[in-house]
Amino acid sequence: MHRHKGAAWAGLAAFVLIAALCSISIGPGGFLHISRTVLVFRLLRLALGIMAGGVLSLTGAALQGLLRNPLVDPFTLGVASGAALGASLALLAGAGTSLLLPVASFAGALFTIVAVYFLARIKGRVTVTGLVLAGVIVSFLFSSLVMLVMVLGHRPMGQAIYLLMGHLGVAFTRHSLWLFAGSSVVMLAGCGILFSYSRELDIMSSSEETAKSLGVDTSRVTKLIFVVSSVLVGLVVSFTGAISFIGLVVPHLVRMMFGPAHRQVLPGSFVLGAGLLLIADIGARNVVPGGLPLSVVTSLVGVPFFIYLLRRRF
Amino acid sequence: MDFGYEQEKLFDCFRLEVKQGEFLGIIGPNGAGKSTLLRLMAGLLKPEKGRINLLGHDLNKISRKQIARIAAVVPQESFFAFDYTVEDIVMMGRNPYLGRLQQPTSVDYDKVNNVLEFVDAAVLRHKGINEISGGEKQRVVLARALAQEPELLLLDEATSHLDISHQHSILRILAQLNNQGKTIVFLSHDLNLAALSCSRILLLHHGRQVACDCPERVITPELIKSVYGIEPLLLRHPKTGRPQVMLPSPILPKSIP
Repeated sequence: MHRHKGAAWAGLAAFVLIAALCSISIGPGGFLHISRTVLVFRLLRLALGIMAGGVLSLTGAALQGLLRNPLVDPFTLGVASGAALGASLALLAGAGTSLLLPVASFAGALFTIVAVYFLARIKGRVTVTGLVLAGVIVSFLFSSLVMLVMVLGHRPMGQAIYLLMGHLGVAFTRHSLWLFAGSSVVMLAGCGILFSYSRELDIMSSSEETAKSLGVDTSRVTKLIFVVSSVLVGLVVSFTGAISFIGLVVPHLVRMMFGPAHRQVLPGSFVLGAGLLLIADIGARNVVPGGLPLSVVTSLVGVPFFIYLLRRRF
Repeated sequence: MDFGYEQEKLFDCFRLEVKQGEFLGIIGPNGAGKSTLLRLMAGLLKPEKGRINLLGHDLNKISRKQIARIAAVVPQESFFAFDYTVEDIVMMGRNPYLGRLQQPTSVDYDKVNNVLEFVDAAVLRHKGINEISGGEKQRVVLARALAQEPELLLLDEATSHLDISHQHSILRILAQLNNQGKTIVFLSHDLNLAALSCSRILLLHHGRQVACDCPERVITPELIKSVYGIEPLLLRHPKTGRPQVMLPSPILPKSIP
Protein backbone atom coordinates (compact mmCIF):
# COMPACT_ATOMS: atom_id res chain seq x y z
CA MET A 1 0.00 0.00 0.00
CA HIS A 2 2.72 2.46 1.04
CA ARG A 3 5.01 1.38 -1.77
CA HIS A 4 2.15 1.89 -4.21
CA LYS A 5 1.60 5.44 -2.96
CA GLY A 6 5.33 6.15 -3.06
CA ALA A 7 5.44 5.04 -6.70
CA ALA A 8 2.45 7.24 -7.52
CA TRP A 9 4.18 10.25 -5.97
CA ALA A 10 7.38 9.54 -7.87
CA GLY A 11 5.38 9.26 -11.11
CA LEU A 12 3.64 12.57 -10.43
CA ALA A 13 6.92 14.34 -9.71
CA ALA A 14 8.48 12.96 -12.91
CA PHE A 15 5.43 14.03 -14.90
CA VAL A 16 5.57 17.64 -13.67
CA LEU A 17 9.31 17.80 -14.32
CA ILE A 18 8.86 16.62 -17.91
CA ALA A 19 5.90 18.98 -18.42
CA ALA A 20 8.00 21.88 -17.10
CA LEU A 21 10.96 21.05 -19.37
CA CYS A 22 8.65 20.82 -22.39
CA SER A 23 6.98 24.07 -21.42
CA ILE A 24 10.34 25.85 -21.35
CA SER A 25 11.78 24.32 -24.50
CA ILE A 26 8.81 24.32 -26.89
CA GLY A 27 7.23 27.51 -28.20
CA PRO A 28 6.80 29.96 -31.09
CA GLY A 29 10.01 31.75 -30.01
CA GLY A 30 12.14 28.77 -31.02
CA PHE A 31 12.80 25.18 -29.95
CA LEU A 32 15.63 24.61 -27.42
CA HIS A 33 17.88 27.34 -28.93
CA ILE A 34 16.26 30.36 -27.37
CA SER A 35 17.34 33.83 -26.40
CA ARG A 36 17.60 35.07 -22.85
CA THR A 37 14.44 37.22 -23.20
CA VAL A 38 12.40 34.28 -24.43
CA LEU A 39 13.75 32.12 -21.59
CA VAL A 40 12.69 34.69 -18.97
CA PHE A 41 9.29 34.99 -20.61
CA ARG A 42 8.85 31.19 -20.59
CA LEU A 43 10.03 30.81 -17.02
CA LEU A 44 7.42 33.33 -15.87
CA ARG A 45 4.81 31.52 -17.94
CA LEU A 46 5.92 28.28 -16.28
CA ALA A 47 5.54 29.76 -12.79
CA LEU A 48 2.10 31.14 -13.65
CA GLY A 49 1.04 27.79 -15.13
CA ILE A 50 2.15 25.86 -12.05
CA MET A 51 0.34 28.19 -9.68
CA ALA A 52 -2.87 28.37 -11.77
CA GLY A 53 -3.13 24.63 -12.49
CA GLY A 54 -2.11 23.63 -8.98
CA VAL A 55 -4.34 26.08 -7.14
CA LEU A 56 -7.46 25.49 -9.28
CA SER A 57 -7.12 21.70 -8.96
CA LEU A 58 -6.50 21.73 -5.22
CA THR A 59 -9.45 24.10 -4.72
CA GLY A 60 -11.60 21.83 -6.92
CA ALA A 61 -10.66 18.83 -4.78
CA ALA A 62 -11.50 20.68 -1.54
CA LEU A 63 -14.86 21.89 -2.90
CA GLN A 64 -15.78 18.41 -4.15
CA GLY A 65 -15.15 17.02 -0.68
CA LEU A 66 -16.85 19.84 1.20
CA LEU A 67 -19.98 19.82 -0.99
CA ARG A 68 -20.05 15.99 -1.36
CA ASN A 69 -20.28 16.59 -5.07
CA PRO A 70 -18.01 15.07 -7.74
CA LEU A 71 -19.25 17.50 -10.40
CA VAL A 72 -18.11 20.79 -8.87
CA ASP A 73 -14.99 22.85 -9.37
CA PRO A 74 -14.30 26.61 -9.41
CA PHE A 75 -15.54 26.72 -13.02
CA THR A 76 -18.77 24.66 -12.85
CA LEU A 77 -19.77 26.46 -9.64
CA GLY A 78 -19.53 29.79 -11.48
CA VAL A 79 -16.91 31.03 -9.02
CA ALA A 80 -14.37 31.61 -11.78
CA SER A 81 -16.91 33.69 -13.76
CA GLY A 82 -17.71 35.67 -10.63
CA ALA A 83 -14.01 36.37 -10.16
CA ALA A 84 -13.75 37.38 -13.84
CA LEU A 85 -16.66 39.81 -13.37
CA GLY A 86 -14.91 41.33 -10.36
CA ALA A 87 -11.70 41.60 -12.37
CA SER A 88 -13.46 43.20 -15.35
CA LEU A 89 -15.03 45.84 -13.11
CA ALA A 90 -11.61 46.56 -11.63
CA LEU A 91 -10.09 46.83 -15.13
CA LEU A 92 -12.83 49.26 -16.09
CA ALA A 93 -11.99 51.34 -13.03
CA GLY A 94 -8.44 51.52 -14.40
CA ALA A 95 -6.82 49.09 -11.97
CA GLY A 96 -4.54 47.41 -14.54
CA THR A 97 -1.82 46.18 -12.23
CA SER A 98 -2.87 47.54 -8.87
CA LEU A 99 -3.90 45.59 -5.82
CA LEU A 100 -7.53 46.41 -6.57
CA LEU A 101 -7.59 43.80 -9.36
CA PRO A 102 -7.04 40.67 -7.21
CA VAL A 103 -9.18 42.11 -4.41
CA ALA A 104 -12.10 42.74 -6.77
CA SER A 105 -11.77 39.30 -8.25
CA PHE A 106 -11.73 37.73 -4.76
CA ALA A 107 -14.89 39.69 -3.90
CA GLY A 108 -16.55 38.42 -7.11
CA ALA A 109 -15.57 34.84 -6.29
CA LEU A 110 -16.79 34.99 -2.69
CA PHE A 111 -20.10 36.58 -3.69
CA THR A 112 -20.67 33.85 -6.29
CA ILE A 113 -19.85 30.88 -4.10
CA VAL A 114 -22.23 32.10 -1.37
CA ALA A 115 -24.95 33.00 -3.89
CA VAL A 116 -24.74 29.63 -5.69
CA TYR A 117 -24.75 27.71 -2.42
CA PHE A 118 -27.91 29.43 -1.23
CA LEU A 119 -29.57 29.23 -4.67
CA ALA A 120 -29.03 25.46 -4.64
CA ARG A 121 -30.24 25.06 -1.07
CA ILE A 122 -33.89 24.08 -1.28
CA LYS A 123 -35.61 23.22 2.01
CA GLY A 124 -32.26 22.89 3.73
CA ARG A 125 -30.90 20.37 1.21
CA VAL A 126 -28.27 20.89 -1.46
CA THR A 127 -28.52 18.30 -4.23
CA VAL A 128 -25.65 17.32 -6.51
CA THR A 129 -27.37 18.46 -9.71
CA GLY A 130 -29.04 21.49 -8.10
CA LEU A 131 -25.66 22.89 -7.16
CA VAL A 132 -24.24 22.41 -10.66
CA LEU A 133 -27.36 23.91 -12.27
CA ALA A 134 -27.16 26.96 -10.02
CA GLY A 135 -23.47 27.26 -10.89
CA VAL A 136 -24.13 27.06 -14.63
CA ILE A 137 -26.90 29.66 -14.48
CA VAL A 138 -24.82 32.10 -12.46
CA SER A 139 -21.88 31.41 -14.76
CA PHE A 140 -23.93 32.34 -17.85
CA LEU A 141 -25.13 35.53 -16.24
CA PHE A 142 -21.69 36.62 -15.10
CA SER A 143 -20.01 35.77 -18.41
CA SER A 144 -22.57 37.97 -20.17
CA LEU A 145 -21.98 40.73 -17.64
CA VAL A 146 -18.21 40.51 -18.20
CA MET A 147 -18.82 41.01 -21.94
CA LEU A 148 -21.17 43.90 -21.22
CA VAL A 149 -18.68 45.59 -18.90
CA MET A 150 -15.83 45.17 -21.38
CA VAL A 151 -17.88 46.48 -24.32
CA LEU A 152 -19.22 49.45 -22.35
CA GLY A 153 -15.66 50.16 -21.20
CA HIS A 154 -14.39 50.14 -24.82
CA ARG A 155 -11.99 47.34 -24.01
CA PRO A 156 -10.58 45.10 -26.77
CA MET A 157 -12.63 41.93 -27.32
CA GLY A 158 -9.48 39.83 -26.98
CA GLN A 159 -9.06 40.95 -23.38
CA ALA A 160 -12.65 39.91 -22.58
CA ILE A 161 -12.12 36.50 -24.16
CA TYR A 162 -8.89 35.92 -22.28
CA LEU A 163 -10.63 36.92 -19.02
CA LEU A 164 -13.45 34.42 -19.62
CA MET A 165 -11.43 31.60 -21.13
CA GLY A 166 -8.01 31.89 -19.59
CA HIS A 167 -4.47 32.32 -20.86
CA LEU A 168 -0.96 32.26 -19.44
CA GLY A 169 0.56 34.86 -21.78
CA VAL A 170 0.64 37.64 -19.24
CA ALA A 171 2.98 40.50 -20.13
CA PHE A 172 4.59 41.10 -16.76
CA THR A 173 5.80 44.53 -15.74
CA ARG A 174 8.10 45.07 -12.78
CA HIS A 175 5.08 46.07 -10.72
CA SER A 176 2.86 43.14 -11.71
CA LEU A 177 5.78 40.79 -11.10
CA TRP A 178 5.86 41.86 -7.47
CA LEU A 179 2.12 41.47 -7.31
CA PHE A 180 2.44 37.94 -8.69
CA ALA A 181 5.17 37.06 -6.20
CA GLY A 182 3.07 38.33 -3.30
CA SER A 183 -0.03 36.55 -4.61
CA SER A 184 1.91 33.30 -4.94
CA VAL A 185 2.87 33.45 -1.27
CA VAL A 186 -0.79 34.06 -0.35
CA MET A 187 -1.93 31.23 -2.65
CA LEU A 188 0.56 28.75 -1.17
CA ALA A 189 -0.58 29.75 2.32
CA GLY A 190 -4.22 29.25 1.26
CA CYS A 191 -3.41 25.80 -0.11
CA GLY A 192 -1.71 25.02 3.21
CA ILE A 193 -4.83 26.05 5.12
CA LEU A 194 -7.05 23.83 2.95
CA PHE A 195 -4.57 20.97 3.43
CA SER A 196 -4.75 21.41 7.20
CA TYR A 197 -8.49 20.67 6.95
CA SER A 198 -7.91 17.29 5.23
CA ARG A 199 -9.48 15.21 8.00
CA GLU A 200 -12.49 17.51 8.33
CA LEU A 201 -13.02 17.25 4.55
CA ASP A 202 -12.83 13.45 4.75
CA ILE A 203 -15.48 13.43 7.46
CA MET A 204 -17.69 16.00 5.74
CA SER A 205 -17.84 13.94 2.54
CA SER A 206 -20.32 11.73 4.42
CA SER A 207 -23.18 14.01 5.45
CA GLU A 208 -23.39 17.27 7.30
CA GLU A 209 -25.28 15.75 10.21
CA THR A 210 -22.88 12.80 10.50
CA ALA A 211 -19.92 15.17 10.41
CA LYS A 212 -21.47 17.19 13.25
CA SER A 213 -22.04 14.10 15.36
CA LEU A 214 -18.39 13.13 14.78
CA GLY A 215 -17.32 16.42 16.30
CA VAL A 216 -16.81 18.64 13.23
CA ASP A 217 -18.08 22.22 13.47
CA THR A 218 -19.50 22.05 9.95
CA SER A 219 -20.77 25.62 9.60
CA ARG A 220 -17.39 27.04 10.64
CA VAL A 221 -15.46 24.71 8.31
CA THR A 222 -17.82 25.49 5.40
CA LYS A 223 -17.42 29.25 5.83
CA LEU A 224 -13.66 29.01 6.15
CA ILE A 225 -13.27 26.84 3.05
CA PHE A 226 -15.57 29.11 1.03
CA VAL A 227 -13.48 32.16 1.97
CA VAL A 228 -10.10 30.51 1.37
CA SER A 229 -11.28 29.02 -1.95
CA SER A 230 -12.52 32.44 -3.05
CA VAL A 231 -9.15 34.01 -2.24
CA LEU A 232 -7.40 31.28 -4.23
CA VAL A 233 -9.68 31.38 -7.27
CA GLY A 234 -9.84 35.20 -7.19
CA LEU A 235 -6.05 35.49 -7.26
CA VAL A 236 -5.64 32.95 -10.07
CA VAL A 237 -8.36 34.52 -12.22
CA SER A 238 -6.95 38.02 -11.73
CA PHE A 239 -3.78 36.85 -13.52
CA THR A 240 -4.92 34.18 -15.97
CA GLY A 241 -8.69 34.59 -16.39
CA ALA A 242 -11.09 31.67 -15.91
CA ILE A 243 -9.72 28.26 -16.93
CA SER A 244 -12.35 25.55 -17.35
CA PHE A 245 -12.55 22.00 -16.01
CA ILE A 246 -8.98 21.56 -14.77
CA GLY A 247 -10.24 21.67 -11.16
CA LEU A 248 -12.96 19.14 -11.99
CA VAL A 249 -10.92 16.48 -13.77
CA VAL A 250 -7.68 16.46 -11.80
CA PRO A 251 -9.07 15.46 -8.35
CA HIS A 252 -10.78 12.43 -9.89
CA LEU A 253 -7.56 11.27 -11.53
CA VAL A 254 -5.71 11.74 -8.24
CA ARG A 255 -8.34 9.72 -6.33
CA MET A 256 -7.80 6.87 -8.79
CA MET A 257 -4.10 6.94 -7.85
CA PHE A 258 -4.24 7.53 -4.09
CA GLY A 259 -7.77 6.72 -2.91
CA PRO A 260 -10.15 9.36 -1.54
CA ALA A 261 -8.25 10.62 1.56
CA HIS A 262 -7.75 14.38 1.26
CA ARG A 263 -4.30 14.21 2.84
CA GLN A 264 -3.11 12.73 -0.45
CA VAL A 265 -5.78 14.09 -2.80
CA LEU A 266 -5.13 17.78 -2.05
CA PRO A 267 -1.35 17.89 -2.60
CA GLY A 268 -1.64 15.31 -5.41
CA SER A 269 -4.19 17.54 -7.17
CA PHE A 270 -1.84 20.52 -6.90
CA VAL A 271 1.02 18.61 -8.53
CA LEU A 272 -0.98 16.87 -11.25
CA GLY A 273 -3.01 20.04 -11.98
CA ALA A 274 0.18 22.05 -12.42
CA GLY A 275 1.62 19.47 -14.85
CA LEU A 276 -1.57 19.08 -16.88
CA LEU A 277 -2.07 22.83 -17.23
CA LEU A 278 1.49 23.20 -18.54
CA ILE A 279 0.75 20.52 -21.16
CA ALA A 280 -2.56 22.23 -22.08
CA ASP A 281 -0.69 25.52 -22.41
CA ILE A 282 1.88 23.98 -24.76
CA GLY A 283 -1.11 22.99 -26.92
CA ALA A 284 -2.76 26.39 -26.59
CA ARG A 285 0.22 28.42 -27.74
CA ASN A 286 1.67 26.16 -30.42
CA VAL A 287 -1.29 24.85 -32.43
CA VAL A 288 -2.43 28.16 -33.92
CA PRO A 289 -0.28 31.23 -34.56
CA GLY A 290 -1.13 33.83 -31.92
CA GLY A 291 -2.31 31.15 -29.47
CA LEU A 292 -5.67 29.86 -28.25
CA PRO A 293 -7.46 30.67 -24.99
CA LEU A 294 -6.61 27.89 -22.50
CA SER A 295 -10.21 26.80 -21.93
CA VAL A 296 -10.45 25.79 -25.58
CA VAL A 297 -7.90 23.07 -24.83
CA THR A 298 -9.03 22.15 -21.30
CA SER A 299 -12.70 21.90 -22.35
CA LEU A 300 -11.87 19.43 -25.11
CA VAL A 301 -10.70 17.05 -22.37
CA GLY A 302 -12.92 18.28 -19.54
CA VAL A 303 -16.34 18.03 -21.20
CA PRO A 304 -16.13 14.32 -22.13
CA PHE A 305 -14.87 13.63 -18.62
CA PHE A 306 -17.78 15.57 -17.09
CA ILE A 307 -20.23 13.56 -19.21
CA TYR A 308 -18.57 10.33 -18.07
CA LEU A 309 -18.97 11.35 -14.39
CA LEU A 310 -22.59 12.30 -14.94
CA ARG A 311 -23.43 9.02 -16.68
CA ARG A 312 -21.63 6.93 -14.09
CA ARG A 313 -23.49 8.42 -11.16
CA PHE A 314 -27.05 8.79 -12.31
CA MET B 1 -26.96 11.13 33.51
CA ASP B 2 -29.41 13.96 33.39
CA PHE B 3 -31.28 14.80 30.32
CA GLY B 4 -33.99 17.38 30.51
CA TYR B 5 -35.20 20.02 28.14
CA GLU B 6 -38.23 22.01 27.31
CA GLN B 7 -39.15 22.99 23.81
CA GLU B 8 -42.22 24.68 22.52
CA LYS B 9 -44.32 23.75 19.49
CA LEU B 10 -43.61 20.04 18.79
CA PHE B 11 -42.35 19.59 22.32
CA ASP B 12 -44.10 21.88 24.77
CA CYS B 13 -42.47 21.78 28.19
CA PHE B 14 -41.17 18.32 27.51
CA ARG B 15 -39.07 16.60 30.16
CA LEU B 16 -37.20 13.36 29.93
CA GLU B 17 -34.48 11.82 31.99
CA VAL B 18 -32.34 9.06 30.58
CA LYS B 19 -30.62 7.16 33.36
CA GLN B 20 -27.02 6.15 33.03
CA GLY B 21 -26.70 2.53 31.92
CA GLU B 22 -30.28 2.06 30.76
CA PHE B 23 -31.53 0.75 27.44
CA LEU B 24 -34.30 3.15 26.47
CA GLY B 25 -36.56 2.50 23.50
CA ILE B 26 -38.43 5.33 21.80
CA ILE B 27 -41.51 4.35 19.81
CA GLY B 28 -44.44 6.20 18.33
CA PRO B 29 -46.21 6.78 15.02
CA ASN B 30 -44.70 8.73 12.09
CA GLY B 31 -44.42 12.40 12.94
CA ALA B 32 -44.51 11.80 16.69
CA GLY B 33 -41.15 13.57 17.08
CA LYS B 34 -38.90 10.57 17.70
CA SER B 35 -36.14 11.65 15.33
CA THR B 36 -36.37 15.26 16.46
CA LEU B 37 -35.98 14.15 20.05
CA LEU B 38 -32.93 12.06 19.14
CA ARG B 39 -31.35 14.94 17.22
CA LEU B 40 -31.92 17.24 20.17
CA MET B 41 -30.21 14.71 22.44
CA ALA B 42 -27.23 14.55 20.06
CA GLY B 43 -26.93 18.34 19.96
CA LEU B 44 -27.71 18.36 16.22
CA LEU B 45 -30.72 20.58 16.88
CA LYS B 46 -30.99 23.25 19.51
CA PRO B 47 -34.07 23.58 21.69
CA GLU B 48 -35.89 26.90 21.30
CA LYS B 49 -36.29 27.09 25.03
CA GLY B 50 -34.89 25.07 27.87
CA ARG B 51 -31.75 22.99 27.89
CA ILE B 52 -30.30 19.55 27.45
CA ASN B 53 -27.86 18.14 29.95
CA LEU B 54 -25.41 15.42 29.11
CA LEU B 55 -23.53 14.02 32.10
CA GLY B 56 -23.93 17.39 33.78
CA HIS B 57 -22.76 19.41 30.73
CA ASP B 58 -25.14 21.86 29.12
CA LEU B 59 -25.11 20.92 25.41
CA ASN B 60 -25.21 24.58 24.41
CA LYS B 61 -22.03 25.31 26.29
CA ILE B 62 -19.66 22.58 25.11
CA SER B 63 -17.93 22.12 21.76
CA ARG B 64 -18.88 19.63 19.05
CA LYS B 65 -15.83 17.55 19.87
CA GLN B 66 -16.76 17.41 23.55
CA ILE B 67 -20.29 16.32 22.66
CA ALA B 68 -18.88 13.69 20.28
CA ARG B 69 -16.82 12.19 23.13
CA ILE B 70 -20.02 11.65 25.15
CA ALA B 71 -22.73 10.86 22.60
CA ALA B 72 -22.52 9.00 19.27
CA VAL B 73 -25.23 8.61 16.65
CA VAL B 74 -26.00 5.67 14.36
CA PRO B 75 -28.36 6.91 11.63
CA GLN B 76 -30.76 4.80 9.59
CA GLU B 77 -28.74 5.15 6.41
CA SER B 78 -25.31 6.53 5.66
CA PHE B 79 -24.06 8.10 2.47
CA PHE B 80 -20.44 8.08 1.39
CA ALA B 81 -19.50 10.34 -1.52
CA PHE B 82 -16.15 8.61 -1.96
CA ASP B 83 -15.09 5.02 -1.50
CA TYR B 84 -13.06 5.19 1.73
CA THR B 85 -11.88 1.94 3.26
CA VAL B 86 -13.77 0.55 6.25
CA GLU B 87 -10.74 1.31 8.41
CA ASP B 88 -10.70 4.97 7.24
CA ILE B 89 -14.40 5.30 8.07
CA VAL B 90 -14.03 3.86 11.57
CA MET B 91 -10.95 6.05 12.15
CA MET B 92 -13.24 9.07 11.62
CA GLY B 93 -14.75 8.11 14.97
CA ARG B 94 -11.41 9.06 16.58
CA ASN B 95 -11.77 12.67 15.35
CA PRO B 96 -13.09 13.97 18.71
CA TYR B 97 -9.81 12.92 20.35
CA LEU B 98 -7.41 14.28 17.72
CA GLY B 99 -6.05 17.82 17.58
CA ARG B 100 -6.47 19.83 14.39
CA LEU B 101 -3.16 18.85 12.82
CA GLN B 102 -2.62 15.66 14.81
CA GLN B 103 -2.38 12.34 13.00
CA PRO B 104 -3.86 9.15 14.46
CA THR B 105 -1.35 7.22 16.58
CA SER B 106 -0.94 3.48 17.19
CA VAL B 107 -3.32 3.90 20.15
CA ASP B 108 -6.04 5.08 17.76
CA TYR B 109 -5.30 2.22 15.34
CA ASP B 110 -5.58 -0.26 18.23
CA LYS B 111 -8.94 1.19 19.24
CA VAL B 112 -10.18 0.99 15.65
CA ASN B 113 -9.07 -2.67 15.51
CA ASN B 114 -10.83 -3.43 18.77
CA VAL B 115 -14.18 -1.96 17.76
CA LEU B 116 -14.01 -3.63 14.35
CA GLU B 117 -13.46 -6.97 16.05
CA PHE B 118 -16.23 -6.22 18.55
CA VAL B 119 -18.79 -5.74 15.77
CA ASP B 120 -17.34 -8.71 13.89
CA ALA B 121 -16.19 -6.64 10.92
CA ALA B 122 -12.42 -7.03 11.18
CA VAL B 123 -12.21 -8.91 7.88
CA LEU B 124 -13.79 -5.96 6.08
CA ARG B 125 -11.01 -3.59 7.19
CA HIS B 126 -9.47 -2.94 3.76
CA LYS B 127 -12.72 -3.16 1.78
CA GLY B 128 -14.28 -0.04 0.27
CA ILE B 129 -17.29 1.23 2.23
CA ASN B 130 -19.43 1.30 -0.92
CA GLU B 131 -18.51 -2.29 -1.84
CA ILE B 132 -20.00 -3.99 1.24
CA SER B 133 -23.62 -4.94 1.95
CA GLY B 134 -26.13 -2.77 3.81
CA GLY B 135 -25.94 -4.94 6.92
CA GLU B 136 -22.15 -4.87 6.96
CA LYS B 137 -22.19 -1.11 6.39
CA GLN B 138 -24.44 -0.62 9.41
CA ARG B 139 -22.06 -2.65 11.60
CA VAL B 140 -19.18 -0.48 10.35
CA VAL B 141 -21.12 2.69 11.18
CA LEU B 142 -21.80 1.23 14.63
CA ALA B 143 -18.06 0.55 14.99
CA ARG B 144 -17.35 4.18 14.03
CA ALA B 145 -19.76 5.31 16.77
CA LEU B 146 -17.99 3.00 19.27
CA ALA B 147 -14.60 4.41 18.25
CA GLN B 148 -15.88 7.68 19.72
CA GLU B 149 -15.90 5.87 23.09
CA PRO B 150 -19.25 7.44 23.97
CA GLU B 151 -21.20 7.06 27.19
CA LEU B 152 -24.43 7.40 25.26
CA LEU B 153 -25.25 5.62 22.01
CA LEU B 154 -28.17 7.05 20.01
CA LEU B 155 -29.65 4.80 17.33
CA ASP B 156 -32.05 6.36 14.84
CA GLU B 157 -33.96 3.52 13.14
CA ALA B 158 -30.60 1.83 12.85
CA THR B 159 -32.05 -1.62 12.18
CA SER B 160 -35.00 -0.67 9.95
CA HIS B 161 -33.36 -1.49 6.63
CA LEU B 162 -31.76 -4.74 7.75
CA ASP B 163 -32.84 -8.34 7.38
CA ILE B 164 -33.60 -10.29 10.57
CA SER B 165 -30.14 -11.81 10.87
CA HIS B 166 -28.43 -8.43 10.72
CA GLN B 167 -31.07 -6.96 13.03
CA HIS B 168 -30.35 -9.71 15.49
CA SER B 169 -26.58 -9.23 15.31
CA ILE B 170 -26.89 -5.46 15.90
CA LEU B 171 -29.25 -6.00 18.85
CA ARG B 172 -26.89 -8.60 20.36
CA ILE B 173 -24.01 -6.12 20.11
CA LEU B 174 -26.18 -3.45 21.74
CA ALA B 175 -27.16 -5.78 24.60
CA GLN B 176 -23.50 -6.59 25.18
CA LEU B 177 -22.60 -2.88 25.23
CA ASN B 178 -25.45 -2.22 27.64
CA ASN B 179 -24.09 -4.93 29.95
CA GLN B 180 -20.76 -3.11 29.89
CA GLY B 181 -22.55 -0.04 31.23
CA LYS B 182 -23.16 2.00 28.07
CA THR B 183 -26.39 3.95 27.91
CA ILE B 184 -28.41 3.18 24.81
CA VAL B 185 -31.30 5.05 23.25
CA PHE B 186 -32.93 2.94 20.59
CA LEU B 187 -35.44 4.60 18.34
CA SER B 188 -37.53 2.18 16.28
CA HIS B 189 -40.73 1.61 14.38
CA ASP B 190 -40.50 -2.04 15.27
CA LEU B 191 -42.46 -2.46 18.51
CA ASN B 192 -41.33 -6.07 18.90
CA LEU B 193 -37.63 -5.30 18.66
CA ALA B 194 -38.05 -2.48 21.17
CA ALA B 195 -40.04 -4.69 23.54
CA LEU B 196 -37.42 -7.45 23.33
CA SER B 197 -34.33 -5.36 23.97
CA CYS B 198 -35.20 -2.27 25.97
CA SER B 199 -35.39 -1.93 29.73
CA ARG B 200 -37.72 1.05 29.39
CA ILE B 201 -39.85 2.33 26.54
CA LEU B 202 -40.99 5.87 25.80
CA LEU B 203 -44.16 6.05 23.73
CA LEU B 204 -44.42 9.39 21.93
CA HIS B 205 -47.43 10.90 20.20
CA HIS B 206 -47.52 14.44 18.74
CA GLY B 207 -44.50 15.39 20.79
CA ARG B 208 -46.09 14.29 24.04
CA GLN B 209 -45.07 11.46 26.29
CA VAL B 210 -47.95 8.97 26.36
CA ALA B 211 -46.12 6.50 28.53
CA CYS B 212 -42.62 5.82 29.71
CA ASP B 213 -42.18 2.60 31.61
CA CYS B 214 -41.05 -1.00 31.35
CA PRO B 215 -42.15 -2.78 28.11
CA GLU B 216 -44.96 -4.71 29.89
CA ARG B 217 -46.70 -1.49 30.91
CA VAL B 218 -46.20 0.38 27.60
CA ILE B 219 -46.88 -2.31 25.01
CA THR B 220 -50.52 -2.84 25.98
CA PRO B 221 -53.53 -3.14 23.62
CA GLU B 222 -55.10 0.01 25.12
CA LEU B 223 -52.05 2.26 24.72
CA ILE B 224 -51.21 0.93 21.23
CA LYS B 225 -54.81 1.50 20.14
CA SER B 226 -54.91 5.01 21.57
CA VAL B 227 -51.78 6.03 19.66
CA TYR B 228 -51.76 3.96 16.47
CA GLY B 229 -55.52 3.57 16.06
CA ILE B 230 -55.47 -0.18 15.45
CA GLU B 231 -56.20 -2.92 17.90
CA PRO B 232 -53.28 -5.36 17.95
CA LEU B 233 -53.11 -8.91 19.22
CA LEU B 234 -50.71 -9.26 22.10
CA LEU B 235 -48.62 -12.33 22.83
CA ARG B 236 -45.81 -13.15 25.25
CA HIS B 237 -42.39 -14.04 23.93
CA PRO B 238 -41.99 -17.74 24.79
CA LYS B 239 -38.41 -17.28 26.08
CA THR B 240 -38.37 -13.86 27.72
CA GLY B 241 -42.03 -13.25 28.49
CA ARG B 242 -41.77 -9.79 26.91
CA PRO B 243 -44.90 -8.52 25.12
CA GLN B 244 -44.96 -9.01 21.33
CA VAL B 245 -47.43 -7.34 19.02
CA MET B 246 -49.21 -9.01 16.12
CA LEU B 247 -51.36 -7.26 13.57
CA PRO B 248 -55.05 -8.19 13.39
CA SER B 249 -55.75 -10.19 10.24
CA PRO B 250 -56.33 -7.98 7.16
CA ILE B 251 -58.54 -10.71 5.66
CA LEU B 252 -62.15 -10.51 6.72
CA PRO B 253 -63.59 -13.85 7.86
CA LYS B 254 -65.84 -15.35 5.20
CA SER B 255 -69.47 -15.51 6.21
CA ILE B 256 -70.75 -19.06 6.22
CA PRO B 257 -74.23 -19.44 4.80
